[in-house]
Formats: sequence, C-alpha cells, structure tokens
Amino acid sequence: MSMSDGPKPLQTSKSAQGTAEAESHGVPPGSSAAVARPRRTFGAWSDKWREMPRTKQWLVLLPVVVLAFLLPLMDIPLITTEPGNDWPLACQAMAIFALVAVGLNIVIGYAGLLDLGYIAFFAVGSYTAAMLTSPDSAFIKIPYLWTIPVAIAVSMFVGVLLGLPTLRLRGDYLAIVTLGFGEIVRILATLIPAMKGQPGFQNVGHPPGVGDDGVPVFANNNGTPWYWLTLVILIIILFLVGNMERSRVGRAWIAIREDEDAAETMGVPTFKYKVWAFALGAGVGGLAGAIMGGQVGFVNNQKFDVVTSILFVAAVVLGGSGNKVGAIVGGALVAYIPLRFTAIAEYKFLIFGVALIIIMIYRAQGLVPARQRLLAYGTKAYADVKRKYGKASHRADTTPQSTAEGASS
Amino acid sequence: MTLLEMKNVSVHYGRIEAIHDMSFTVEEGEIVSLIGANGAGKTTTMKTISGLLNPSGGSIKFMDEDITKMKAHIRVVQGISQAPEGRGIFPAMTVLENLDMGTFGRKDRSGVSDDLERVFTLFPRLKEREKQFGGTMSGGEQQMLAIGRALMSRPKLLLLDEPSMGLAPQFIRQIFKIITEINGQGTTVLLVEQNANQALARAHRAFVLETGAITHSGTGKELLANPAIKEAYLGVG
Repeated sequence: MSMSDGPKPLQTSKSAQGTAEAESHGVPPGSSAAVARPRRTFGAWSDKWREMPRTKQWLVLLPVVVLAFLLPLMDIPLITTEPGNDWPLACQAMAIFALVAVGLNIVIGYAGLLDLGYIAFFAVGSYTAAMLTSPDSAFIKIPYLWTIPVAIAVSMFVGVLLGLPTLRLRGDYLAIVTLGFGEIVRILATLIPAMKGQPGFQNVGHPPGVGDDGVPVFANNNGTPWYWLTLVILIIILFLVGNMERSRVGRAWIAIREDEDAAETMGVPTFKYKVWAFALGAGVGGLAGAIMGGQVGFVNNQKFDVVTSILFVAAVVLGGSGNKVGAIVGGALVAYIPLRFTAIAEYKFLIFGVALIIIMIYRAQGLVPARQRLLAYGTKAYADVKRKYGKASHRADTTPQSTAEGASS
Repeated sequence: MTLLEMKNVSVHYGRIEAIHDMSFTVEEGEIVSLIGANGAGKTTTMKTISGLLNPSGGSIKFMDEDITKMKAHIRVVQGISQAPEGRGIFPAMTVLENLDMGTFGRKDRSGVSDDLERVFTLFPRLKEREKQFGGTMSGGEQQMLAIGRALMSRPKLLLLDEPSMGLAPQFIRQIFKIITEINGQGTTVLLVEQNANQALARAHRAFVLETGAITHSGTGKELLANPAIKEAYLGVG
C-alpha cells in the first residue's frame, strides 16, 4: 500500500497482512472481486447489467419482453407441454406463479419476513373477485376488471390487519403465526355460509370481449389472452417493485432483513417498514389471486392449502430470495415442471424438496442471487467525495489496482 | 452541559432484573466509560439508552428532554447513535452502503459527503474497501465500519458497545486512539468495555458496573489507581 501521505492511523500489522494476502491472490482489495463468491456465472451478468445505462437496459429487455409475449403462440418441441396439458394455459400458470413469487419476494426476499401463509392473501384476492362477480354470490356485482383493484385493496387491508399484531414477532415465531393464518382463511371459507365452502363460486367473471365465433375472448380454457393480461400486469408490478427496491424503502427493508436492531439504531422505523412490506406483498398476492379466480372461473376452499403456500416459498427461495428476476424464474419453474413432466407431477413436492436441498447446499443464494444498490443520494455523496479526493490524490483508487496486478503477474 | 441523564433506571428481561436503580450523567464533550464483567448489565445499559430496550422504571433525559418513551429510530435523529455489540454490520451491503445506512434518519442531505469524508479520513482502510461486502471483512475492519456508520448520522452522543471485543492488542490501542480523536472533534462518547485498562486510561470519567448496579465512580485515573478495581478488572493486585 503506498498510502504515503494523509492520516493512516490504522495501518497495523494485522491490516497490512490482510492486504498482502489479497494482493498475493491478484485481486484488487478495493474491488468487489475481492469477495469470495462461489459460482459467479449469474453474478457476472448482473454486474454487467448494473453498469449499463438505463436506456441500454431497456433495449436489451425489449426482445426478452417480445419473446415473453410470443411464448404461448410458439410450439417449441421439448419445451411445450402438449398434448397432456394445454401450452397457453401452462404459460398462464407460470405467469401467475411468477406474479405470486414477485409479491412474496417483497416479504421474504427484501424484508426477510418468513411468511408461510402467503396463500391467505392469494385466497382473499380470489374470493374478492369471485364474490363480486359470480352469480352464486349474494353480494353486489361489479365488472370483473374492477374487482382487481378491489382485491388488491382488500388483501392489503388484511395484510395490515395481520401485520399489526404479528410483526412484533421475529423469525420462527412469525413463521408459525403466518402458517396459522394461512389455514384460518381456508377454514373461514368453509365455515362462513356466504363463502360457500366446497361448492364454491362458479362462473367467476372475466374481462369483456367476444370473439367472432361468439366465444368470449377471456374464456376459461383460452390461455393466451389471460397470459397476456397477466404478463402486462406482471411487467407493471415489476416496474413498481423495481423502483421501490432502489428507493429508501427498499434500503430499509434490506437493512431490516440483515439486522433488525442495527437498522433501528440507524434510524429506520423498522415496524412501519415491516408492515409496509407485508401490506404490499399481500396486495400483489391478492392481485394474483383475483386473476387466477377469473381465469379458472371457479373458486372454492380446496385450492388454498398450506402445501401450495409452501410451494410459493419454495419458488422464491429456488429463484433467489431478494431478487425479482430470481422470483420470476423460480415461480415459472415451480409451475412449469409438473405441467411439462406429467409423469412426475405426482411427485412434485418430493422433487422440489430435493431441489431445494441441493440448492441450499450448492447455491444457497438461489438460482439468481440478489445484489443491492446504493440509494441515489448515497451515490451522489460518494461521487462528491470521490471528486474531492480524486484531484488531490487519485492514487487511492489506482494504486491498489496496479500493485495487485504487479503481484499477480 | 449535561447531555445524558439516567435517573433511577431499572430494566427487566421478563421477571429478571438486569439493571437496578441506575443513575449517572454524561456531560457534553466527555468520554465516559462503563466497565464491568460479563452479565454486569453493560450492553443492557447501552440498549436502554439507544432505545432498543424499554426501562421498567426511572427516566432518561437527553439534552434536557425526556426520552424515556422515545423509539430508537427517533433517538438517532435526536443525536444518539450506537455502534452495537458484535458490530451489527449489514453483511450483504458494501462498506459504502453500510455507511450510507447510517444517514437514514438524517434530514440534511447536504452534510452527508462531509461526514463520509470525515469517516474516510479517520479510517482510510474503509475507503480502500468501500466496495467490499461488510460480511467479508475482518473483525477489526468491521469494528471500524460500525463506528464509522454510527458517525454518519453526525451524533451528539456516540455509544460504543465493546469496541475492543475480539481484536488484537495492537489493534485495540488504535481503536482507542481513534475514539479519542473522534471525541476531540466534538462528539461525546459513552463506551462500555471489558478491557478496563484502555477504557479507564482514555476516559474523563468512568463507572464500574456489578450485577446491574454502579458500585464505583470517578475519573478514569482515580479508578485506575483504585486497588479494588485493580484487582478485579486489571488483573494486578
């Protein structure tokens, strides 16, 4: 280290030794490459991605989005699910699971709150859509598309209602309480007469529009339009979640996830932000539930069991807790695999269980690991400092790099 | 001026009393040390001042304002900042991001870069490692980061919970030197330590904590010279 001028009160033998060690491996000590990270295949991509300007990111994303929209129309051999399962409907299932995973990722991935009863919000959304559109329901009827914002609002309200008393708990205790809540909603659906238990609600509404042949565009068995609708909603949600992730709120969540007490002593109102994470996650869950209810056209108490709830958690963990792209990958995979390989569908819980164990051993961060970014003003402050230091002594940045290269060559 | 005043404060964990009827003050500009053995209630005292624990009795005043019931995240804005025991680094954030978290409660964005520069001047090592993840740093570096992060909120009172824990002896001297430097820049410091020697030598005043109560108090030098304390905490006598 050629820190010849300026104060250097902490150049002890211990720290010097650490530097020597880093240099002998040929890694610049100031760079993130000094961090030992196993299997950086995806990490390298995401590093490159982050360095791209925003406009370039959009250009790269465009073909991906176009491809995603064309997905149900393409019958790619080996990938498609025909003839056993309808491919467009499989795409729709993948999109729904991806949406659920993105929502649950806010709660588990960002804020670190292990919610095992996320299915409850999904159920609340489904029931909201069903009870406001199905002829079996005694409630007032509204057009299906209007039930989507109502479903979001109702599930967010339920999220806050559940969050206020339970978010004072931490870790395992919270997981147990949410697990209970997941069951409570299902049992309430059985017990409350207005929710009609197992007979459930038939002919749940769908968006308007009738094709040339007189069949509704959004028929239950017509996956493609439903998939497109879900995909548009998913993209909107991703955009909102992405902005939130980069904001102060996102940083607060990450801090809470990493160390709640430390976050509180940094000035983060932890309880408030935890309730927010819970409510926003619930809102996305309710939204996914409402779409699912409309697409299937039938909602009863049999669909919202704890096992499905665990499957949601598996999707998030599999994809990469804390990364929204990971959540989409995880959600889509969890939906896709049993539909594609119908022969093993019966064993899906066994397979996902084994997959999770393998992931935990070899790639604990999930398929697409998370990485956080600086707050905008943090970056700005950093740039200011860099400018101040930079002119007087830019060696602080350049020297470690060059010495490291010297050592490695 | 009295910055912090603890008056007859008691703290319970369930039915167990961890702090009993504790009273002491911290004056502006001082370094005050709390020393004591394991389980004496040092960390409990710190957590009570920072607001992570609620006292079951007594009152806490900060700059003549009663903060007994104030939430921890608001106390930071008021000017109490803590570098917690075990450092409390955010492992998946880089050094710079960790420091940035320290500014979370701040209202003025303009002073942030000045404080960042101050931290980097105190700890040049942090600047070298600014892009490294907090969780991958050595214990000493994490301790620097914890102190630096606490300074980023520009506190009036800096709480340091065992800054020397788990560090090499040479490193301990460095940390204490920097604590004195921080104090010289106008920040009042309250620190708890098991390393009584350094803690007493650097402190203006000090208190000895035994099973949740203060048993001795005086200037750092007085306590260093006290035979009973020498025997119990300094390993001589």
